[in-house]
Amino acid sequence: MKRLLPSLRAKKRYLAFELISEEPASRGDIVKEVISSASSLLGDITTSDCDIKVLGFENGKGIIQCSHAKVKETRASMAALTRINGKRATLHVLGTSGTVKRATEKFLQAEN
Amino acid sequence: MGKPKFYDFCVHAAPDGDNTIEELSSLARHFGYSGIALANHSDKLPDKKPALPSIEGFEVFRGIELVEENPSKLHSLIGKFRSSTDVLIVHGGSESINRAALENPRVDILNHPAFDKSSGLNQVLAKAAAENGVAIGIPLRPLLHSRGSRRIRMLSDFKANLELARKYDVSLVLCSDAMSCYDLRSPMETLAFAEVCGLEEDEALDAISTVPEKIIKKNRPGPGYVREGIEVLEGEDIF
Repeated sequence: MKRLLPSLRAKKRYLAFELISEEPASRGDIVKEVISSASSLLGDITTSDCDIKVLGFENGKGIIQCSHAKVKETRASMAALTRINGKRATLHVLGTSGTVKRATEKFLQAEN
Repeated sequence: MGKPKFYDFCVHAAPDGDNTIEELSSLARHFGYSGIALANHSDKLPDKKPALPSIEGFEVFRGIELVEENPSKLHSLIGKFRSSTDVLIVHGGSESINRAALENPRVDILNHPAFDKSSGLNQVLAKAAAENGVAIGIPLRPLLHSRGSRRIRMLSDFKANLELARKYDVSLVLCSDAMSCYDLRSPMETLAFAEVCGLEEDEALDAISTVPEKIIKKNRPGPGYVREGIEVLEGEDIF
């Protein structure tokens, strides 16, 4: 199948984040808590528009994908996350970008 | 216009909160704040004044959050702590305390005004707040930590207060009310959360940068600052 032209694809934003928590967490835990916090704060309908996905997560840092029109809502629901598996935690957004590559280069690799 | 500076004016450090002020300051600095105010509750103060850390490019202001149930005792507490603090916050929560705080121009911020079935503010109090230059604090911690019916209550109280604040032109201050490092949120997240909760973009930005700057300017009058009630007359033939 031929790939869609970039102009026809749904536009995304990629939020590079770091996890600050009492205990280490896995990617699955983060997915679960972010979605639950979003659905509690924004409701299921807005959350479905946000199209939140946790793309990668290792060494306390990762990338969350969301719709380009819902960056604010996604950030707010990341802010509303207070606990992961009952342990205190917070997600700090390092920056946003339009491509995974740029988000990784600019926010995740620069500090290493 | 330069990049706005962000301030978090209500942070509780040990022994009131869980973490030391050094830990909170370095995390806040990492998050992009230009300054925070250490505002421990007045009923849990240590015996001696804690030393404030000095970090380059970051300021830690001395603040206090007064907890008192008797309005006349509140006024005397305000008198006692006013000169030694940069930020004076009153922990509201009853009709008489809210009133006492909003009618005292020496108070900077009123936090948690809501009680029982009221949002804590009304037309009369909002007017008093605007006249006396007392800002209404929007603490994030209770909003972030609760869910469901409790958060719905808090948000509707907050929206009622927001309407009043807009009508009477009362300043708002966004603060984390952090009890530990995990309660701090970066300025951008705080702004996003405030906007989702109903603030306009410019209102939220004012609440986290301009209003705190004004409070500090008022309490630390530098050279050239004109105090409230004084008018500078210019011209040749005044005398």
